[in-house]
Formats: sequence, C-alpha cells, structure tokens
Amino acid sequence: MRPIPRAALRSYVCPSCRHGISAGRRRFGTKSDQKPDIYDVVCVGGGPAGLGLLAALRASPVTSKLKVALIESQDLNKARSWNMDSTQFSNRVSSLTPSSKAFLQKIGAWEHLDTQRVQDYQEMQVWDGESGSRISFDWSMDTPDFEDPRTVATMTENSNLVRGLLRRIAASGDENLTLFSNTTVAGIENGTDLRTEGPDLSAWPVLSIKPTGASTETQSSSRIAARLLVGADGINSPVRSFADIPTHGWDYNRHGIVATLSLADPDTPPFPDYMRTAYQRFLPALGGPIALLPLPSNHATLVWSTTPQNAAYLKSLPAPAFLAMVNAAFRLSMTDLKYMMGMAQPAQPSSEATSHEDELSWRLQHTPLPAHTPPTATGVQTGTVASFPLRFRHAAQYISPRVALVGDAAHVIHPLAGQGLNLGLADVAALSRTIEYAVSHGMDIGDLLTLERYSSERYLPNAKIGGACDLLHKMYNIPGQGPVTWARSLGLDVIDKLPFVKSFLMKNAEGY
Amino acid sequence: MASIRPRPISLRALHGASTATRPACRPSLPPFSSSSTLPRKVPITRNHSTSSVSADELSHFSALASSWWDPMGPSRILHLMNPLRHEFIASCLAESPPPTAADTDSASSSTAANLHYMDIGCGGGIFAESLARTIPLDPSAAAPTATRAASMTAIDPSTMLIQVAREHARMDPTVDAHLRSGKFKYLNTTLEDVLAPSSPFTPTSTSTSTSTSTSEPTPSGDNASHPQFDMVTLFEVIEHIDPTTTTPQAFLANCLRALKPGGWLIGSTISRTFPSFLLNQVIAEAPWPIGVVPRGTHEWSKFVNPPELHAWAQEGLMRAADSATSRGGPSALDGMRWKCMGTIYVPGLGWKMVPGSESWGNYFWAVKKGV
Repeated sequence: MRPIPRAALRSYVCPSCRHGISAGRRRFGTKSDQKPDIYDVVCVGGGPAGLGLLAALRASPVTSKLKVALIESQDLNKARSWNMDSTQFSNRVSSLTPSSKAFLQKIGAWEHLDTQRVQDYQEMQVWDGESGSRISFDWSMDTPDFEDPRTVATMTENSNLVRGLLRRIAASGDENLTLFSNTTVAGIENGTDLRTEGPDLSAWPVLSIKPTGASTETQSSSRIAARLLVGADGINSPVRSFADIPTHGWDYNRHGIVATLSLADPDTPPFPDYMRTAYQRFLPALGGPIALLPLPSNHATLVWSTTPQNAAYLKSLPAPAFLAMVNAAFRLSMTDLKYMMGMAQPAQPSSEATSHEDELSWRLQHTPLPAHTPPTATGVQTGTVASFPLRFRHAAQYISPRVALVGDAAHVIHPLAGQGLNLGLADVAALSRTIEYAVSHGMDIGDLLTLERYSSERYLPNAKIGGACDLLHKMYNIPGQGPVTWARSLGLDVIDKLPFVKSFLMKNAEGY
Repeated sequence: MASIRPRPISLRALHGASTATRPACRPSLPPFSSSSTLPRKVPITRNHSTSSVSADELSHFSALASSWWDPMGPSRILHLMNPLRHEFIASCLAESPPPTAADTDSASSSTAANLHYMDIGCGGGIFAESLARTIPLDPSAAAPTATRAASMTAIDPSTMLIQVAREHARMDPTVDAHLRSGKFKYLNTTLEDVLAPSSPFTPTSTSTSTSTSTSEPTPSGDNASHPQFDMVTLFEVIEHIDPTTTTPQAFLANCLRALKPGGWLIGSTISRTFPSFLLNQVIAEAPWPIGVVPRGTHEWSKFVNPPELHAWAQEGLMRAADSATSRGGPSALDGMRWKCMGTIYVPGLGWKMVPGSESWGNYFWAVKKGV
C-alpha cells in the first residue's frame, strides 16, 4: 500500500499526541502547503475509458453537478477535429458488443459518432486451422426465424469513438468541467492537513500537473486535489503506481499486426444485404489467430496475432506479398503457411525466385476451400500496417482509498476475442453507476465503502474474460495433431451443436 | 472533583481501551464529560437519574472509537446499512413531507433543501456525516437528494466518539465547510440536555456555530421552549439506552418533544424474537470470521418489537403534548403516521429491505407527528 497518513487509516489519536506525530511531516517554505484546487473526480487519461467515464458522469442528472477534470498528455483538439476520407479507415478499430453500444447510447454519446463509419456484423465464423473444426456465432438460436439477424458486435474506429465522446462532453456545457489537454502529471502525493484554514486533505491525492514539454524549473505546475482519482491511464498507469497497487501478468511473446484492407466482392451476395460476417482462423503453427472484421464499403480490419519474428517478416513485405500472406493465412494448411512465412524476398520482381502471389495461387489449386472462407483481400491502405505487443496484466486491486482504476490500467488481455475496450467501457459504466449511487445516498465517492461496490462488480467478470482469452490463446498454440488438438476440436464441434451452451457463452462474452 | 474531570486521553490509554476489557477505559471517560470546545453551562457532573445514557454502553462504544471509520473494522456492518437509512427517509418524505415544504408558497418547495435534522446517538457520525454531505453549499439550490437536508445537528454522549466524528468530518471539504458555517454540528451532549431549558441550543448561545440564527431550528408554535426539528433520527439507539435510569418509552417521548409538528421521527432497531437472538447474539457476535459485530454490542433483552414501539410512540406523542397545565390526550395522535420496514443483512449482497421481516429481525421504523 502507498504510505497513507494516519488520517486515512481512520484511527483516533488525541490532539496532544497528534501534534508530536505530525511535526516531522511538515514541509517548510514550499507551496505545497497552499490549498490545492479541489475536484470531485479527476480522471487521468483521455482514451475511450476516461472520456467515457466523464461523458457518463455528465449525462446523469445525479452526477452532472460534480466538479470533474480530465488530464491528457496528448492534444485533445487533434482528437476533436479528427477527420478522414470516407474510403479510408484508421487501423485502430475496436469491436463494440451490444452492451457497450447500449451504454454509449444511454449516455448520449452514440449519436455523436459518425455512424457512416461504423459497421455492424451479425455473424462470426471461427475455425481451427489445424483440424478445420468450426463454430459460428450468431443470435439465430435466440431470435425467431422471421426476425432480422441480430448484431453480434459493431466495429468502430477508436478515433471516431473518442471524437464522439469529446463532442458529447462538450454538449454537456463547461460548468464544473475542466479538460487539461497537453498536460502531464508531474507527481501525485498525499495532501496536507490545512488545520485551522481548511479541511484535512492528508488522505487526498494531490496531483501536480504541468503543460507537456515544459521543464520543471521554468514552468510552475498547478496542484489539484481529487476526491476520487481515476486511473484510465493505460498499462503503465502512474495512478496505479501512486496507489502502490501491484499488477500481475506476463508478456505473450506475440505481436498483433493490424492493417486496413479492402476486399473483393463476395462470390455470393450477402442475404439480407446488410448481413456482414467476421472471420477468425486459429493458426497454431504461427502462434495465434488471424481475424478479419468488417468495415463499411467492403473494407475490413485485420488483426493477426503471431510471433515477433513472423510479425517483423510480415511488416517487411511489400503490399502484394503482404496481401498474399493474409489470403493464404485464411486458406492454406499449416505446412504451406510455415513454408511461405520463411520465403526469401525476391530481389527483383522479375527475378526467377517465385513471389508470394505465385506461391499462393499455385498452392490454392491443391487446397480444398471450406464454404466459410472470407472474400479475398485485394488492397492494403498505405501506412496502416502496424504491430503492437500482446500482454496480459491484471491489477491486484482496482481500488485504494480515493483511487479507482479502469480500463487498461486495471487489466490488459489478449485481443483474440476483441474484448479489451468492452471491458474498459463496462468498468466505466459500473464506476459511474457506483458514483451515482454514492451521491444519491450521501456517501463519499472516494471512500473505500463506495468504491468496493465498483470493484466487486467488475473484478470477477474481468478476470473471467481475461482468463478465458488466455486459455484460448494457450489451447490454440499447440500445433500438430495431438490430444489437445483433438480435444479442442471436439469441444468446438460440440458447442457449435448445442445452441444453449453457445447462447450462454455468447451472453457471457457480450455482457448480457 | 479533580478525579472526575476528563483527562486528555493518551494514545496508550486508547490502545488499552480497545484491546483490554471494556471497563478499563471507564475512569478516563465519565459519561457526562464536558468537552473543552463547547462553552456550556452544564455542570461537569450530573445526576445519573435524569439521563438515558447507559455507562456500560458508553464505554463499549467509546472503545470502538479508533476503528469506527475503518471500512473493514467492527463498524463495517453499520456502514453498509447507512445507504438504506437514506432510502427509508426518502420513502417517508415521499409518503408525507413535513409541512415546512407546504407552507412556503412556491412549487419548488418540495425539492428545496429546507429540512432541519437532528441525529440522536450519532456515534462516530456515520449517518450524520453522510447526511451533512447532501446539504447544498448554496442554500437556494435544489436539494441534491430526496432527503432535502438544510442542516444537521448530531448529538452523542461519548466525548471520544464526538471527537472521532469531528476529526473525520474534517477530511471532506464539503462537510468541513458545513461544520465551519454551522449547518452541521456535533454536540457532545445528551437528549435530556438539549431539551433542558438552559440548553446550548437557545439562539443566544455560541456553540460551535457561527451561522445566523435564521438557519437554526427554532422553537415553533406550541409550548416548546426548546429547539425542535423537522426530522429526528434515532438509528440503532433505542436498544442501547439505560433501562435502570429511564425507560425506552420516556426516551421516545423526549425524542418526540424535539420534533416539530408534522415532522418525522425515524429510527431503526431489532425485534426481540428467537430468530433475532440467533442472528444478532449468537451468529453476528460470534468470533471472526463468522461474526460481523463486536462482542457485547447488543443485549437481546433490550431489543424492541414493532408493536411495542408503536404503542410507545403513541404514548410518547400524548406525553410530548402535555403542558404544565393540561394533558395532551388522544387528540395528540391526530395525523400521526406509523411506518415499519424490515431489513436483512445477506452476506455477500449487503442489506436488503424485506417487507415483513420487521416482525422478527432488524427493521426501520418511523413516526410522524400530527400537525
């Protein structure tokens, strides 16, 4: 635990003894004895989770009067004015479950998103590249035949979401709201007891904030005290460090490759015409699954989890070879793929060494294709091929006195189920509900008794989803035809044929 | 005389009190010590027979002072119950608001923060502080919660608990501001002292308050020569008063005297039944990890059943209407309301309102004084 002064530990010490105890703590001649600005909620981090919390607090009539602040080291004006051509898509795309979308609608943020740039999908095909056993996810078992297919998830660019949330916050007015853009947190420490002049803030986190790039000497930092400090500041959360909350986890030694692709028209037009499908194929020999998730106007976003060596190799390929590898990964056998992943790059396009494209078309002639093969990827948007390391982290606690962690600050999971952002938004929804309950019942929103409501609501579901993704990753990293492959394929086939089990799993994954 | 005077309680004595047997802290804690921060005219020693405070209970709860606000400490179960108190008060107000709201002409009076509260037996201030937090800093603003508090006066006979309560209240700038403005007061006194003619409440008194007398609860209308409040709360108190010096009925009558006509007296207690004996004496006070309440907190024989309470409240209302020359009589019951709601603690889920369970377990109750 972080060093919390006596006051926070709630023990009673008589005035004469307290004088002796606190004398050593007193600082001299610094401005830290001055009264800081007092906020009810200070959120560090202006990503989807942090902005989502702010938007939710501003949207509820109970919590809209709270004095809130958000600190973001990037320029929020850039995020606010983000714009992209309608045929171009950012490579940072997330899959929103219906419950996440419902939350965004409830707080009035969804209408501020550019809905031309979001794409629902109603079906998901998942199969094992080793054994070919397959499972398809859709809501057909829960909806009557004559009803329209229900949405499994909605693809949204993170920039679109962030811009929408910023617009929603702006629409709530600027009363009791401060957005510290381009601002970094220089330090967090416990406040001081103002004794006769004011309240005892010795258990309150006080942040020193300064504009990005300003040197410590020249620029005077301002100080703000938080009734509740929310860490939405990512995997290396400074708020979590301040609260001295340990985090457990491991690196997967895998990288996720993302890219925005354009697809060929499907062989058979979808029915109904708005019906879209997401595809995911597990490639045990290459270290993880490859997924193709639909975007508007026949575009798709790629997420390919693979080893760092494979990721580096794929990123070094020219666009046609990269596309050939993506198409191969959805079609060819593990043996073929392993061979193609090691192919030398032809020095000249016209040289006698065979190119990836030729290799793919020759090998496809000898590979039977299942019906659920995705449409061929025909183009890759320049500059969108990127990779990021995959990690698993889970904070030991989400709360500490006057501190709460949300989103990646609390948990980072494997992206194979596309649940990371959804868990973050679910955290935010739960925390805003907790704050609402506390305000309407006279509770201190920073008190542990308040925050434990949030923590008990979210810790187990997050651990469950994170653990399930970890288990899937590990199960689908065992190549070859062994007992594990046999067991996981049997499991997949059985689940696919038991509608109620599948429905149960889907409801769990989507937070219903 | 010097031996009775409260000595400054040292840290050592405090540790001794919390770990050793209960009577250990009694010598340093005379039940009716006068706090140095309160310029009061009451004598330092008082006759026991006029007070409802039990010395045993006082020492028991004072020994818990150091851990009163520990969210995982022995008072955790009380902290968990606190939000339900707000909900129960809100349900009473929704049913029948005190006339202060109706008197003031505008339509916004039903949402205005215009109710003056008194919390009797506030202890470390769990309820008092949470209610004080809902007092708007700007008095003209609409009340942020359905409890519509304008001021809170919290009293407790334990010097130590009042000290703990004040210390803790200072950790919240909002509550601290109310403490400084006098909208929120902690008084180390007994109900009998508040109702005494020389009470520190008389508007000329300079207690801890610096506020103008307009926000003070003032004697209203009838024969009251003492302060009266719109709302008087009595949470988990009536089962702790001293049966040797007073009766719960007399104590309840005093509570009702402190109530303005049309105000609500709201409390919570436990029924005296076999299930409540099992639950509150055997299970709840069992050693860790089963028990959730410190040993010796409750005495089953002091528990009160709802019909008893209802009858006492009726009797109390009539007695409260007594004046020097006439008796209140049954007309004092006109417009009276009685409300009762059982509540159960479910491990892992917390407190739940369960209608009907008042006849055998914990319950909230409320009495509305007729206008």
